[in-house]
Amino acid sequence: MIKLSITFLFTVIALLLVVLFTFLIYLFVQRQRESRFEKVRDRYLLNYSQLWYDYLFNNALFSMVLVPRGAAQVEAIERIFSSYLKNIISENVEQKIKQFANQYLKKFYEKDLSSRRWSIRMNALYRIADLQIEELLPSCQEFEKNKISDEEHFQLLKIYSLFQPDLFMEKIKNPNINYSESEYRRLFVLLEEDVFIRFFDDFNCWPTNIQFAVIDTAAVKRNMQYLDELKKLLSHDVMEINIRALKGLYEIGIIDEIDPFIPFVTSDMWEARLMVAKIFKHVPLAYTYSYLEQLLQDENWWVRSQAAKTIVEDRHGIAKLQQFIESSNDPYAIEMAQEIAARKEGSK
Amino acid sequence: MKIIDYCMMFFGGIILFYMLFVIVSYCTMFIIAMLDLRKRYRLDPSEYDDAHIDAFYSKPVSLLVPAYNEEVGVVDTVYSLLNLRYPQTEIIIINDGSTDQTLQTVIEHFRMKPINKIVQTNIPTKQIKQIYESEIYKNCILVDKENGGKADALNVGINVSQYPYFCSIDGDSILDEKSLLRVMKPIILSDGEVIAAGGNIRIANGAKMQFGSIYETQLPSNYLVIMQVIEYLRAFLMGRIALSKFNLVLIISGAFSVFSKKWAVEAGGYSTNIIGEDMELVVNIHRLIKEKKENKRIEFVPDPVCWTEAPQTLGVLRNQRRRWHQGLFESLWKHKKMTLNPRFGLIGFISFPYFWLVECLGPVVELGGYIYIVIAFFLGKIYYEVALILLLLFVIYGVIFSIAAILFESWSMNTYPKKREILRMILLAFTEIFWYRPLTLFWRCEGLVRFLRRKSDWGNMKRVGIAEKEKNI
Repeated sequence: MIKLSITFLFTVIALLLVVLFTFLIYLFVQRQRESRFEKVRDRYLLNYSQLWYDYLFNNALFSMVLVPRGAAQVEAIERIFSSYLKNIISENVEQKIKQFANQYLKKFYEKDLSSRRWSIRMNALYRIADLQIEELLPSCQEFEKNKISDEEHFQLLKIYSLFQPDLFMEKIKNPNINYSESEYRRLFVLLEEDVFIRFFDDFNCWPTNIQFAVIDTAAVKRNMQYLDELKKLLSHDVMEINIRALKGLYEIGIIDEIDPFIPFVTSDMWEARLMVAKIFKHVPLAYTYSYLEQLLQDENWWVRSQAAKTIVEDRHGIAKLQQFIESSNDPYAIEMAQEIAARKEGSK
Repeated sequence: MKIIDYCMMFFGGIILFYMLFVIVSYCTMFIIAMLDLRKRYRLDPSEYDDAHIDAFYSKPVSLLVPAYNEEVGVVDTVYSLLNLRYPQTEIIIINDGSTDQTLQTVIEHFRMKPINKIVQTNIPTKQIKQIYESEIYKNCILVDKENGGKADALNVGINVSQYPYFCSIDGDSILDEKSLLRVMKPIILSDGEVIAAGGNIRIANGAKMQFGSIYETQLPSNYLVIMQVIEYLRAFLMGRIALSKFNLVLIISGAFSVFSKKWAVEAGGYSTNIIGEDMELVVNIHRLIKEKKENKRIEFVPDPVCWTEAPQTLGVLRNQRRRWHQGLFESLWKHKKMTLNPRFGLIGFISFPYFWLVECLGPVVELGGYIYIVIAFFLGKIYYEVALILLLLFVIYGVIFSIAAILFESWSMNTYPKKREILRMILLAFTEIFWYRPLTLFWRCEGLVRFLRRKSDWGNMKRVGIAEKEKNI
């Protein structure tokens, strides 16, 4: 029995070593291939980067030598495009890239979409969105019919949002998909204003993740037309939505009336009180001091700290804080006022 | 004579059974890791990194750097933190009562000025002496405190920090500019469902560095360090990835990991009376998650995020391993009631038994195996054969797994691109079971003995210093 085991183990080890050795050979061959690939790519970059620059920026004539032959040259072009798209904002350049990609890169990505490898398909979907290859939209819709992963589906949504907003709005209503808030934000931030504002129309119908993402995106877009929408949400039943709306309004930074915010000074949630203390930064101290004084004596450290910081931002802030320190008998509030006042004076 | 025979049969059986068990569990984890990495093979990472560079998507993080007598490395560490591509961070250096020039070096280098700052005492700690703020980098704070150990220093950092997430960084860690983005990725994407995340740690020895960041990796020349490189690869492929997939991670390295401040504070922060404070915090958080019945995760990120200096001499390595093992045992012992406890789900049924059997008691059995082989050769007779079987199992366990890890890592991540380097690692892997393995087993057993005798120390290792290494290259 033992003898058999020894032979067995020897065989297992020998077999495993053979497998590993084969893998090693494969790895080395793969390396060789990669290095050839890199050589072709780098040669393209070296030879044609200048031509590309001239074509994109100096309106030089397009030369057929720029058309890629093979995956290595496609990768070189991807690199050139991605560096320009990330660093330079020019509609003309974007248009030229889009046109080129639609004409000459389309077939490569179309082929990649049918790859068995998830990562290759994902890369193709990334490129279709980045380089705006609108002509692949039908292929993408076809692709959606396959069994695809959540990540691929997300990327498809991004593509729809760019090329066909109506289709996007329809797809996002699908109750079977649920992405995280940050993923929704990544989608919404790219939407045109007229599409995005539609989310406010039947706000309560959306799942919470979408609701939160809509509020946060509205804040980042900093567009006046969202001010009223966010203000409306201050009377929403869900506290978290109130707080998000407060945060959004703070970030847009335009406060034309303080009445909608007053009820939050006495809110049960410290986060809401904190946000009010922040929002009052955008309002002259004369209108808000009495509320801020109340917040300076709040039971929560963050609220006290923010109230003091807001007061001190104003021209007369330090004087007001000094006055408060002398008259108050709340040791925590005094300590906070002292620290913030000292820091403000120190930084002058 | 009969008693010896029975003993040999008994121990031989136990050791053989144990080895088979370990080999099967490593194989399973290796396959899970392989499938996971295979999926990502060749995925363009820049797409993701760029998408999250905007403050709009990310969450602010406080970076905590505890420093005890780190005058050689601390400045470089802070520079590598300043290099991080992340929209909103603050750097908090905590001088844990160093007896060398750490405090002075930091004050002078970053033009630190004393400030008055009220600190919330979320976690009780030793006294803070003074807080400073850099005149050059406004987001850089230095806290000078009484000596209380690394855990205490980190707790002070948590108290001083103002952001919802904090990241602990060892004084000798070198980071990639995308480190923080990568480690924060699961946290951001999951909307806070992931409450702690750690990344893959690599060995920095031999790498080429400039301004606190690595621009080329090279296999070091020291055999001891190469063995550690292989060991890290193995631990990564046969452990972390698979455990993380099922939310079973008990260790995320203290060298670079992010925690939600809310959860860490609620779990009581870092424990000061224990050696493996990072593991202790993770276990405490797991416990809290189960107690509160919340759907939260602790994740391990397979991307490399942090480079660390590995011990170059046997003496230092021995200290490190002793301390690690002692820490592991302490944590497991402290939470022994979680083992096989249905209240803690898979953590109790898989993680704890795995850590007890494979990671903690493993060295004892394995070392027993080595001793068994030696005795068997003296006793002769049928024991030759048992010893030979055992030796072959050691070969599978040590050599084959190591080579598989080297090759697979090289295929998926390609950290050491030169063919010569891969061949060198493979050749060295063949020698592992003859010297490196028994040595580390012995040191780990020492750690166990030390736990039983309750010895402890801060365990600072002597560093060559990153700046020094740059000069050497």
